[in-house]
Amino acid sequence: MAIAAPEQLNLTEAPTWGSRTVDCFEKLEQIGEGTYGQVYMAKEIRTGEIVALKKIRMDNEREGFPITAIREIKILKKLHHENVIDLKEIVTSPGRDKDEQGRPDGNKYKGGIYMVFEYMDHDLTGLADRPGMRFSVPQIKCYMRQLLTGLHYCHVNQVLHRDIKGSNLLIDNKGNLKLADFGLARSFSNDHNANLTNRVITLWYRPPELLLGTTKYGPAVDMWSVGCIFAELLHGKPIFPGKDEPEQLNKIFELCGSPDEVNWPGVSKIPWYNNFKPSRPLKRRLREVFRHFDRHALELLDKMLTLDPSQRISAKDALDAEYFWTDPLPCDPKSLPTYEASHEFQTKKKRQQQRQHEEAAKRQKLHHQQQHGRVPPVQQSGQGHPQMRPGPNPPIHASHPQVAGGPSHHYAKPHGPPAGPGRYPAGGNPSGGYNHPTRGQSGAYGSGRYPPQGRGTQYGSGGMPGGGGPRGVGGPNYPHGAPYGSSGTGRGSNANRNQQQYNWQQ
Amino acid sequence: MADFMTSTHRTKWIFTPQDIKHKYKVANQRAKQALEKYGTTRMEVDIDGSFSYAESQNDAKDSAEKRPKPLKVEEEQLLRAFYEFKIQDVCDAFKFPRKIQATALIYFKRFYLQWSVMEHHPKDIMLTCIYAACKAEENHVSAEELGKGIGQDHHVILNNEMLVFQSLGFDLIVYAPYRALEGFISDLEEFCGAKDDDQLMALKGSLDTARIEADKIMRTDGPLLFPPGQLALTALHRANAVHGIFDFERYLRSVLSRHQPAHAISELTGSMNAIDSLIGKLLTPTSKDVKHIDRKLKSCLDPGSHDKSKKRKHRSKDSSNEVTDIS
Repeated sequence: MAIAAPEQLNLTEAPTWGSRTVDCFEKLEQIGEGTYGQVYMAKEIRTGEIVALKKIRMDNEREGFPITAIREIKILKKLHHENVIDLKEIVTSPGRDKDEQGRPDGNKYKGGIYMVFEYMDHDLTGLADRPGMRFSVPQIKCYMRQLLTGLHYCHVNQVLHRDIKGSNLLIDNKGNLKLADFGLARSFSNDHNANLTNRVITLWYRPPELLLGTTKYGPAVDMWSVGCIFAELLHGKPIFPGKDEPEQLNKIFELCGSPDEVNWPGVSKIPWYNNFKPSRPLKRRLREVFRHFDRHALELLDKMLTLDPSQRISAKDALDAEYFWTDPLPCDPKSLPTYEASHEFQTKKKRQQQRQHEEAAKRQKLHHQQQHGRVPPVQQSGQGHPQMRPGPNPPIHASHPQVAGGPSHHYAKPHGPPAGPGRYPAGGNPSGGYNHPTRGQSGAYGSGRYPPQGRGTQYGSGGMPGGGGPRGVGGPNYPHGAPYGSSGTGRGSNANRNQQQYNWQQ
Repeated sequence: MADFMTSTHRTKWIFTPQDIKHKYKVANQRAKQALEKYGTTRMEVDIDGSFSYAESQNDAKDSAEKRPKPLKVEEEQLLRAFYEFKIQDVCDAFKFPRKIQATALIYFKRFYLQWSVMEHHPKDIMLTCIYAACKAEENHVSAEELGKGIGQDHHVILNNEMLVFQSLGFDLIVYAPYRALEGFISDLEEFCGAKDDDQLMALKGSLDTARIEADKIMRTDGPLLFPPGQLALTALHRANAVHGIFDFERYLRSVLSRHQPAHAISELTGSMNAIDSLIGKLLTPTSKDVKHIDRKLKSCLDPGSHDKSKKRKHRSKDSSNEVTDIS
């Protein structure tokens, strides 16, 4: 092979194509890691600007560039808003790996593709979990308003985010909040006629219509998640920490009442309604449970956590809610205090030690009780060894281990929720897996997003029933498979992979 | 709003005729130079953007007589035209929606603004663009299925995918005239005050004709020069010339006054005339027409196709299929 050096070829006539390489950036530190890629904080060498690099691994030999990455790129290139993360560019890293005969063998581009994002200091979950953190009312209003503004913009542009949760809401030190991680997002048409997968949105934030198996849905799914976050901010901890879909629905019904044809016309026609219908009707208790909330907050929350998606409040109407227009008013983002950025990845090592402690402690104390904390559960890290689920956060003692399964990208030091232990016993699952159908390595930039579509069972260590391909609509939707390809569960066979790959009705 | 006005399509991928001509020339020159230097135009591009040439036999490189003749700019154009027609063919065979066809065509056109057909064989790029368009338009077809459907090795698709995406700068959202056409037709229903079924049928008939006109426009340089709305209007104009069901100029004035009162109608008709003349010049070469060009291309890409080296043999086997594919 003759390498065409710049001087051999007239540089001005060299094709002005493609992307810059990752060499334009100096990687400073890893700030997140998922099974399938890493997120780095990096500095652009030329300008000194700090960015986040999210790697898209290109090791799928069957279908090349991941469709999820294509969606994310398409969507982010289309959206330009102060409350939506800015995809600055796409850069590549060398690493072509052809076989020795030079034959094309699968995908020759095994190097990396990186998405370059503006750098954000925190995510909402990480910030909320900082020790001693107390959000003020104007601060909560300020974040909520930004969240709704960004989401309204997405919805107007016919994009469903489909993974709204605290760790995907990035916050910088100027108090700006931006929606991030559009790896599950997709465009929708207003007629809601397309069949979309119901296996989206992290379990705790997943709306009842998806849990009941609908495949025709719209922006209301994101609004449910917003309601969950809103309640979480006011309540201090997640309000629906279900460990699997049935429990998730139960928790929802216990608070919001059970759905019927009166409060949700058409609900009985949703695929799994009959499987999940509670044996006896439950009363809506939301206003009672949260009676200590501010009146306007409660009113808005009530409208967000409406079971029937067609009656659920839209982002636009939510922005008009009294809550945002009565004292205390939302504060100016710039007036918010700044916080020192702390990336979970930095504390990972420490936490791993803590985790070992905890496992030891658990072995000694079988009925050790824990409480669900803020961090949503992770199934498994897929890093070759079973990891603890992060669901149960430690009790208050600061010395107690934070149990976070896969590294996620919460820019904060872990700490326990304010309440004492007890509500949600862990059940002493020694493998540390609730088999939680929530996404694994969460994290603001969504490092764990792109599944290695060409992988076999090596990640499938969670011992889950091999449910459908993680995102395949056609797959058995229940019981829990891996919902978004956070881990390799159920992805062992080609059939699953095909499902995931070829089914475009997502 | 995220629409055409704020799109990369509008800001980065609409050119002047001079721009395009220059780009074709630059790519052609580069391939010619490579042929002189390395005896081949076949280019291997690495993911980081560096590229290299498969070095040919020394004799081919040294002696000018033996060196394969490069393609002329016009020959490249003819070959592209052939494969653009082929894209529509393949998409029809797979019964893909027009949107995918149009996206694949636009990807293909954008790709060859940067590369010569001598550097990357248009047959491979055609397939890859169709595959990429399917992915981007949420109509996913597996590479294998696509390859099988037209008797091609699907590895070619996967090997070129990243090259294509990068050449497109990952600007994957493209705008075709078809949707605009539908908008104009429903607007026309109101404009014509179409009430009875006959009138609606007539409009529907002109929509069908206009779509066929748009198919032609999609194979010209038009999509690189004009916004999709203007392409659609031209298609509609041509369709109306056949059906004659409404006063086109009056409609044009009404559209302008509603949407862009500042614009002169002459500006718009100027664009439409230019698109019209592109259609007039549209080439639809047959496989016979391009056979000799394809043979020339083959010798540029694989000068040593007759020699005994394993690598060459493999490639010549590949390219022997090409002639049969074309026919």
